Amino acid sequence: MRRAARRVRARAGRGRGQAVRGGAGGRGRQRSPLAGRVRGVSEACPERVRGVSEACPRRVRSVSAACPGRSAPCPGPVRPGGGAAMQREVGTLPLAPALRARLAAAGFQTAQELLDTGPCGLSKEIGISREEALEALQVVRQECQGDAARTAGGSGATRKCTALELLEEEQTQGFIITFCSALDNILGGGVQLTKITEICGAPGVGKTQLCMQLAVDVQIPECFGGVAGEAVFIDTEGSFMVDRVVEIAAACVQHCHLIAEAQQEEDHGKALETFSLENILSHIYYFRCRDYTELLAQVYLLPEFLAEHSKVRLVVIDGIAFPFRHDFEDLSLRTRLLNGLAQQLIILANDHKAAVVLTNQMTTRIGQSQATLVPALGESWGHAATVRLIFHWDNSQRLATLYKSPSQKESTIAYHITSHGFRDVQPPAVTHSTEGTQLNPRKRPRTEEEKQQ
Amino acid sequence: MASGRWWTLCLQTWRTLPKSVPCLTSLDQLLDSGLYTGEVTELMGAPGTGKTQVCLGIAASVSLGLKQHVLFLDSTGGFTASRLCQMLQAQTEDEEEQLEALQRIQVVRVFNIYELLSALQELRDRLSQQVVSSMGPLKMVLLDSVSAVISPLLGGRQSEGLALMMQLSKELKTLAREFSLAVVVTNQVTRDSSTGLLKPALGRSWSFVPSTRVLLESKEASWDKASTRRAASLAKSPRQPTGIQVELDIGNGDVLEPSLVTPTQGL
Repeated sequence: MRRAARRVRARAGRGRGQAVRGGAGGRGRQRSPLAGRVRGVSEACPERVRGVSEACPRRVRSVSAACPGRSAPCPGPVRPGGGAAMQREVGTLPLAPALRARLAAAGFQTAQELLDTGPCGLSKEIGISREEALEALQVVRQECQGDAARTAGGSGATRKCTALELLEEEQTQGFIITFCSALDNILGGGVQLTKITEICGAPGVGKTQLCMQLAVDVQIPECFGGVAGEAVFIDTEGSFMVDRVVEIAAACVQHCHLIAEAQQEEDHGKALETFSLENILSHIYYFRCRDYTELLAQVYLLPEFLAEHSKVRLVVIDGIAFPFRHDFEDLSLRTRLLNGLAQQLIILANDHKAAVVLTNQMTTRIGQSQATLVPALGESWGHAATVRLIFHWDNSQRLATLYKSPSQKESTIAYHITSHGFRDVQPPAVTHSTEGTQLNPRKRPRTEEEKQQ
Repeated sequence: MASGRWWTLCLQTWRTLPKSVPCLTSLDQLLDSGLYTGEVTELMGAPGTGKTQVCLGIAASVSLGLKQHVLFLDSTGGFTASRLCQMLQAQTEDEEEQLEALQRIQVVRVFNIYELLSALQELRDRLSQQVVSSMGPLKMVLLDSVSAVISPLLGGRQSEGLALMMQLSKELKTLAREFSLAVVVTNQVTRDSSTGLLKPALGRSWSFVPSTRVLLESKEASWDKASTRRAASLAKSPRQPTGIQVELDIGNGDVLEPSLVTPTQGL
């Protein structure tokens, strides 16, 4: 008796398993009523590769424009509005790859067919749960509606405009100044918003110094020529020194005070009330990431953070090479992760009108005849940044070369790192005239600094 | 009667033949009178060799010289309208013309593959419905760059990336063919791990998609000698012998110095 019961249970189990597998449309195992026939081919129309619908007497699914056998007797279901957006292929929809593979195996080709089937039919056809089918159809509907809305002329959330509108936008956008006028000149005004800037250099040449300087400079009020934003500093190497930032911030505040005294304008005074050391330090949001998974997670969570802190105009990642260079066996995985990271950063920069600044290390490439110093992380990473600066030494002089930029020529300048931060090598020649108000608000007479030195 | 049908057939065939869109004068020499409609042309090069600059130059000259509309799909954030304006100013002094040319260039920012595919779908819908809008007659589609959206997906054990890449290539080719557009894409180069030479990114499967490939190189060996001179060489073409090289100056427009050098060790 017990053996018989076990046999019965086993058979039932097998039957269930078989039924499930058959329902999934199997990889070659046909348990459906059309057993023996290639899945998707309807009785009526042999050329059409489609799924089969119970309701239609001729056993065809929604009518496709591509089918040659579309003749008068076949009524075809009424297609809801949406027009050509519904003809989008299943392969182009943002669904999970396993789901896409199943849909392709079941014979679905366009979004229209998916929506016509409905969630119950879909879950039966490809063997997924009803909730998953509902979710998938939701995604498909959103995509098609988005497409239709865009075609109809609504702009929605698309990033589409003419070159003229972009030009106007760019001209009103500010730059983040670096306090080194030569560097600002070769960059075309300073570090640009909505672009990724990469700073490569050997150790000790001043990359972290520039990052700290920029984190302070982004907070300069607009009346002094800044963008009045906040900064996010993601540190992977642990080289962020708060004492140094305090020195740089103090020098910056002093500089602004002197400008305000020289020019005596109202809004300068008001702006200076909020531009204090404490305020500057409290608006630099610091994150410490110890390995590449933390870094990827942090960048993944940044859009939410920036949505809450909408005044952030600068994101610094100090040491993007460090977590990716050591202890990484699979180089193709590294390339993929870096490329994905680059795309996320550019989306961030674009959506929040922020500047993204990355620092990179240098490595030696041994060529046929000589060994050259090149930026780390390989060739494919070179395409990630829009603007690339390379810092290097020439005897004891620090030089900065603009290597890649969409709007500026390649050039090299010299810079200096003082106790006040990142500065020019020679003070720019400034006239002490107070009548001509052609004075650049960022520059002030440097006599006091020279006296101190 | 037979001759009537013959002529109709001839006319139809002639209409579907690819026409060339002359763009940058020195690049035209390389491409056998210009970029061909109905085909996909690829520009590849290492970072900083000027792919975006050449694309901007092409967009400027097509918009200004031929008065055709241009669609620029930007996936790297490298499109700078002020640089485009500089290029237009170098070609014409008339401000009205510059403004009109700027209005004829439409820019869409697409930062991942699905956005790109929906932008192409939208373009197809608009062109097939022949919506008379500010778009006007579209002649050229520039995609800068295709590897930025595809390379995060390639590799690994899944073939999802490859499937999407093939989907994209099908979209681009059918768009070019059906609506007689000239499609230009930019691609990156990667270093071959075994030989150490540069090769185009995205692998063999992508190499069958563009019918013409141009490689851009910097004339200097290392980055500390700055210059604006670049060398463009033909790596794949159905019309010209490969290995032809011309020199470009990406500073202010183009220098007309085509030089048929001995064929290089092409890719």
